Amino acid sequence: MTKRVLLAEDEPNIVESLTFILERSGFDVSVTTTGREALEEAQSTTPDILILDVMLPEMDGYEVLRRLRADNRTTALPVLMLTAKGQREDRETAIACGADMFITKPFVNSELIAAVQELAAGEPA
Amino acid sequence: MVSDIPGTRIRQYRRDMGVTQAALARKVGISPSYLNLIEWNKRPIAGTLLRKIAEALDLTLDDLGSVAEERLRAELVEIAHLPALESADVEADRSSELIGRFPGWARGVAALARTEREATTRAQVLSDRLSNDPFLGEEIHKMLNRMAVIRSAADILVEYGDLTDERRDRFIEIIHEEIRVLSDNGEALATYLDKAEHSERHLTPVDEVEALFDAREGRFDEIEDQAHAMTRQLDDTRPVPRRAKARALVEERLGDAIEQIIAGSPHVETEAAAARARRMLADYAVGAIMMPMPAFVEQARELRFDIEALADTFSAEVDTVCHRLISLPRQDDLPRFGYLKANASGVIIEKLGFERLIIPRYAAACPLWVLFRAQQSPEAVIRQRALFPSGDRFVFIARAQNTGMTGFGKPRHYVTDMLVTTEVHSAMTVYAPDLSSVVEEVGPGCRLCTRQSCAHRVEDPFTG
Repeated sequence: MTKRVLLAEDEPNIVESLTFILERSGFDVSVTTTGREALEEAQSTTPDILILDVMLPEMDGYEVLRRLRADNRTTALPVLMLTAKGQREDRETAIACGADMFITKPFVNSELIAAVQELAAGEPA
Repeated sequence: MVSDIPGTRIRQYRRDMGVTQAALARKVGISPSYLNLIEWNKRPIAGTLLRKIAEALDLTLDDLGSVAEERLRAELVEIAHLPALESADVEADRSSELIGRFPGWARGVAALARTEREATTRAQVLSDRLSNDPFLGEEIHKMLNRMAVIRSAADILVEYGDLTDERRDRFIEIIHEEIRVLSDNGEALATYLDKAEHSERHLTPVDEVEALFDAREGRFDEIEDQAHAMTRQLDDTRPVPRRAKARALVEERLGDAIEQIIAGSPHVETEAAAARARRMLADYAVGAIMMPMPAFVEQARELRFDIEALADTFSAEVDTVCHRLISLPRQDDLPRFGYLKANASGVIIEKLGFERLIIPRYAAACPLWVLFRAQQSPEAVIRQRALFPSGDRFVFIARAQNTGMTGFGKPRHYVTDMLVTTEVHSAMTVYAPDLSSVVEEVGPGCRLCTRQSCAHRVEDPFTG
């Protein structure tokens, strides 16, 4: 069964590239461009994987993640965090908020796909 | 042009005076061949022999460039012991030889070390900015986003050979667009960092303001002239109202003159330094109104430069008198003073006008200076005859003053003002030491000090 990836990212060109490579790798991709939308979308549609940018308008990625973890429907949702900041404290914040994986921009396409596939494989089919 | 190096200078002066090498060598008790080596900078020269040669040629040590050389030597010795050079086994004890034989290299090494120090400081400042500055954080975030897109799209072009023409064109367009934005980001960042670079050329505001005062030899005639005319408006003889009135006059009428000095100085670059310069020039102007120079010189001579008696005479504070003393005209019948101010933790917070006193650039000063002892007997003037390892003798005159609140149980915060002069200059003052007074052996600070067995040493001796 095709896995559904929710991509929460506000940079249109990143969205375009990521959507392309994810679809080519066999995922079904839907996109949100604000933190609030990402939260609502994740709670209502429960995707298989969430790719979550940290710097999002309206609500940042950390806050989205905290709320997802506090909600029964999404507490176990696999989340890959994506950020332009590669500093250790950001990684620690992401892990503390409950991220399963963490990838910094600029990323390598194949690594990102491998991470998403790993998260997908961890879920019961 | 006269050289900075003593050997070369000796040769030039000797020839100008028509003295033969043999005659000069005989006069100072060395062989002509040894003098020849000195003159061609193949042997280091300092201390007693340099003094003898200076006397024999009727010159001062300054004429022979020894002050500049000594500063350079102190700097090289400090450099030799910087942690970064630890493994290089630099011959710190041979720095005089280096200066004598390869003066250009010696100056070059010192210049490089200064550049390195400034670069390190700048890197630290920029690193702090990177982590704390909101503009930089935002700009870098944008750039990383742009790079992420470019990288991802470029990889797609390479890795997916089956792209439709439409797709391929779209990703090329994305790359093109993102590179344009990235270069705008880069330009904004470069402009921003360029501004930051200019504002941090001097290490601290204290350095910048010191450079301003040094360049003017501690005197600002444009303030003096205007201040002189305001003195008669000080009708109150009580110190506090008198000072307050002088300050009000400065604020009211001398603001423009002060701003012009700051704006016209190449030394004051940062806003912090401008603020400090404004404060110090205002203090200077207050002193100039309370103690106009002609009257101050007359009274100072009369009272033999006694800082407390002068403070009484002019109803002024002692530190204002000290500042006034460093602004004395440079003439032979007036003593020259330098000035240091230290806070209770021993940090030197002001240093003006005494280039011969070598203060370490990279470390703390000598704890044996009376500057750091004055707080044990606040408000009392104490004098110290200080003998430096180089043979230089200074007379230090220090007085600690409460800047905290007054009243029972209120915390007192002492700062110490210290005047620096030479024994020769001090002879014109009440502080002239008599021959029986103790000469205290002090140093420029542990790292530059040759007193190997000093009980107060806290860092290893580096000089040889």
